[in-house]
Amino acid sequence: MANKIRTGSRKRMYMKMVSGSLIRRASRLIIAVLAIAIGATILSGLVTIYYDIPEQLGREFRSYGANLIVLPHGDAKITREVMNNLRNLIGTVKIVGMAPYRYQTVKINEQPYIIAGTDLSQAEKNSPFWYIDGEWGHVMIGREIADTLNLTVGDTFTVQGVKYGEQAEASRKDLSAEENQKRNLAHQNFARKFTVKGIVTTGGAEEGFIFADIDMLDELIGDTFRADVIECSIVADADELSALCSRIENEIPELQPRAVRRLTQSQDIVLGKLKALVLIVTVVVLIITMISVYTTMTAMVAERRKEIALKKALGAENKLVMSELLGEGVLLGFIGGALGVFLGFEFAQRVSLNVFGRAINFQWSLIPVTIAVFIAITVLASIIPVRKVMDIHPAIVLKGE
Amino acid sequence: MFWHIIMKTLIRQRSKMLMIAFTVILGVSLSTAMMNVMLGVGDKVNRELKVYGANITVRHKDAALMSDLYGLNEGLGVNDKFLHEDDVLKLKSIFWGFNILDFAPILDGRVLMNSSFDVAIMGTWPMKHAVLSTGEELNTGLKSLRTWWDVSGEWLNENDDDYVMTGSILASENHIHVGDKITLKNGGHEKIFTVKGIFNDGGNADSKILMTLSSAQALMNLHGKVSSIEVSALTTPDNDLARKAAQDPRSLSPEEYETWYCTAYVSAICHQIQEVIRDGVAKPVRQVAESEGTILNKTTLLMVLITILSSIGSALAISNLITASVIERSQELGLLKALGAYNWQIALLVLAEVMITGLTGGIIGYFLGIGFAQVIGQTVFGSYIEIAKMVILIVSVILFFVTLIGSIPAIRYLMTLKPTEVLHGK
Repeated sequence: MANKIRTGSRKRMYMKMVSGSLIRRASRLIIAVLAIAIGATILSGLVTIYYDIPEQLGREFRSYGANLIVLPHGDAKITREVMNNLRNLIGTVKIVGMAPYRYQTVKINEQPYIIAGTDLSQAEKNSPFWYIDGEWGHVMIGREIADTLNLTVGDTFTVQGVKYGEQAEASRKDLSAEENQKRNLAHQNFARKFTVKGIVTTGGAEEGFIFADIDMLDELIGDTFRADVIECSIVADADELSALCSRIENEIPELQPRAVRRLTQSQDIVLGKLKALVLIVTVVVLIITMISVYTTMTAMVAERRKEIALKKALGAENKLVMSELLGEGVLLGFIGGALGVFLGFEFAQRVSLNVFGRAINFQWSLIPVTIAVFIAITVLASIIPVRKVMDIHPAIVLKGE
Repeated sequence: MFWHIIMKTLIRQRSKMLMIAFTVILGVSLSTAMMNVMLGVGDKVNRELKVYGANITVRHKDAALMSDLYGLNEGLGVNDKFLHEDDVLKLKSIFWGFNILDFAPILDGRVLMNSSFDVAIMGTWPMKHAVLSTGEELNTGLKSLRTWWDVSGEWLNENDDDYVMTGSILASENHIHVGDKITLKNGGHEKIFTVKGIFNDGGNADSKILMTLSSAQALMNLHGKVSSIEVSALTTPDNDLARKAAQDPRSLSPEEYETWYCTAYVSAICHQIQEVIRDGVAKPVRQVAESEGTILNKTTLLMVLITILSSIGSALAISNLITASVIERSQELGLLKALGAYNWQIALLVLAEVMITGLTGGIIGYFLGIGFAQVIGQTVFGSYIEIAKMVILIVSVILFFVTLIGSIPAIRYLMTLKPTEVLHGK
C-alpha cells in the first residue's frame, strides 16, 4: 500500500518535472516544436506527393490520347452490348475516355469523304490535344476538308450516301442530271445538311475526317449501333495494359484489343524517370531535413547541461535524468510530428490542386510513421549530447566549463 | 577590438558556431541542389519526352493527308508531290537547328511482294551519319524516332540496301522470319531483299516493309524524292503569343514577331523549317507537341513547389537554430552589457558573428549543393545538370535575410536583458 502511494507520487513528480521544464522554457519550446513541425511537414508532404505522383502523372499522360484500341475480329462490328461489357470489364475508375468509332464513306459535292461517328464527349476526353476552331460538337470537320471545301465555322454542307445494307446505283448515262439527282434521293440513299460547329486541327490523319455523333450517324444511314473500333484511354502502365488485353481476349472473345505500343512504352520510360526524380529529390530533402532537425535539437539540449548537473548534485540517478529527457523528447516529437502531418498534407493537397487540379487521398498511415520518426529523432538528439554529461562530475559542470 | 571579440567568440564558441555553419551548409546545399534541378528539369524532361517520336512532320504543300486514311485514297493522285532529299540536312541550318534532335525522311509507296500481293513500303534513313557544311557531325535516323519498336533480329544499318525490316503483322500473316528472302517488284524494277529484322510497332506500321531510302527510291523510280520528313525538336510549351502566331505570323507586331521567332515554339520552328525545305509545309503533330507541353508544365510546376517547400523548410531551420544559439549565449552577452556595451554594439556583434558563420557555411553548402544536383542528374537522367549562376544570387539573398530574421528575436531579447539577472543565472 505504502509502496503504491510512493510510486504514484513519483509518477506525479515525473510528470511535473517534464511538463514544468517544458513550460518554463516556453520560448525555446516554441523553437523546438517549430523545428520538428517543419521537418514533419516536409516529410509528410513529400511522402504524400511521392505516393500520389504515379497516379496523378499517369493521368496527365493520358493527354497523349488513346492507349488501347479495341477492334472486332475480321469484318464483324462491335455492338453496344459488347461495348458495355468491355466498359464493365475495364472498370469505370480506370477509364479516362472510351469512344466508339464508326466510319462511313459519304459524298460531298460528289467527292468521297469519310465521316466518323463517335461519342463526341468521350472523344474529347480521349483526345485533349485536338485543336478545335469553333467548339466541340456535332458536326466537326478536319482542317484538310475545311481547306478543300473552303468551309468555315457556321457554314453548311450536304453529305450524301447509301444507306446501310443497300447497293449504290451508278448514275446512268441515259438519264439527265436532274433525274440522276432524284434517283440519288430515293429510299436507298440519304442526304443531310450539316452546319460546321468546329474545325479539327491535329497535324495527323484526323484532319481528313468529318466527326459526327454516332447515334445521329446510325439514324442517318438507317442502322443500329455498330462500331468499327473502340478507342480507350486507360490509366495503366504497359504491364497492366497487357494484362488487361489478355483478360479482354479471354472474357469477350469477339474483341481484339491492341495496346498502342508507342504510347505505353514511352509512358513507362518517361514516367519511370519522373518517379525516380521525385524519389531521389524526396530522399535528399528528407535526409537533409532530418539532420537539420537533429542539430537544432542537439543545440537546444546541450544548453541544459547545467540543469542536469544540478539535478545530479541533488541526488538524481542517471536513469531518472535520462527518462525525464526521454519523456520530453517523446512529448516534443509527438506535438511537432502531429502538427507537421497535417501541415504537410495541407501542402501536398495544395501542390496537387495547383499542379494536377485534383485532390489527393490522405495517407492515414503517415500519421503514426511521421510521429514515430520525429519522436525517434528528438529522443536521439536529446540523449546523445547529454550522455557525455552523465559521466562528468556534477561539480565540474556546475562551476562552468 | 570589435573584430578581436568576434574572432575570440568564433574560436571559443566554435562548437556552437560549427553547428550553425553545419545547418547553413545543409540548408544552402538543399536549396542550391533543388533550384538547379528545378531550372534544369524542363530541358531534361523535354529530352525524355522525345521517346514519343516526332513532334513535327513536313510534307509537300500539295500532298494531302488523305493518303493516311487507311490507304483508301492511294492512287488518286495525292501522292505524286514530293520533297527533295537534298533539302533534308538543311534542317540543321535553321535558327533553332540546335534544338532539332532527330529527323528522318520517309518515302511511302506500294509494291508487289513475291508476285502475289500489294504491300506498303516505307523508305527511310534507318541510321544516318552525316557531316554538315558547318563541320558539325550528325547522327540521326528513324531508329531514334521509333524508340518504342520491339525489334527481333536487327535494325537496318545506314547502307543496308539489300536488306529490309518487316512489320510484325505482315510477318506473322505471311510466315516471314528473320533471314528469309523476299522479292519486291514495282513496274520494271525488281529486287530480292533479305529480312534483317521484324518490328512490332503496335500501330499501322506493323503491316509495312521498312527499307533504306535509296532502295525505296530505286524501286519506286523516284530518285532524290521523299514524301515526308519526321522531325523531333525540343520546343517551348505554347503560350498565347505562340497560338496567335500559329494562326498567322503576319498578324504579329515586329517586336512580337522577333520574340516569337527567337523562342523555340513549335510554330516558330515549323515556320523556319518551311523557309529551308522547298515546297514543304511543316505541321506540329499535336498529339505529341501539345501533350509534351502539358507534361512539361506540370513537372516544372511540381518541382518549383517542392523547391519552394524545401527552401522554406531550410530557411526556417537555419533561422530557428540561430535564434536558439544566440539566446543560449545570454550570459556572455549580459556580461558585455554589464561592462558598459551599448545595445547596438552587442546587436552588431551578434549579427557579424552569425553572418560570418553563415557566409562560410553558405559557400561550402553551395558547392555541396551543386554536387547533390549532379547526383540527381546522373541517377535520374544520366546527364549533367547545367549550373545556373542565378542560383548563387537567389540563395545568397535568401540566406542573408534568413540569418537576419533569425537574429531578430535574439537581438530583441538582448535589448530587454538585465545584466544582473542574467549574470546571476535566472
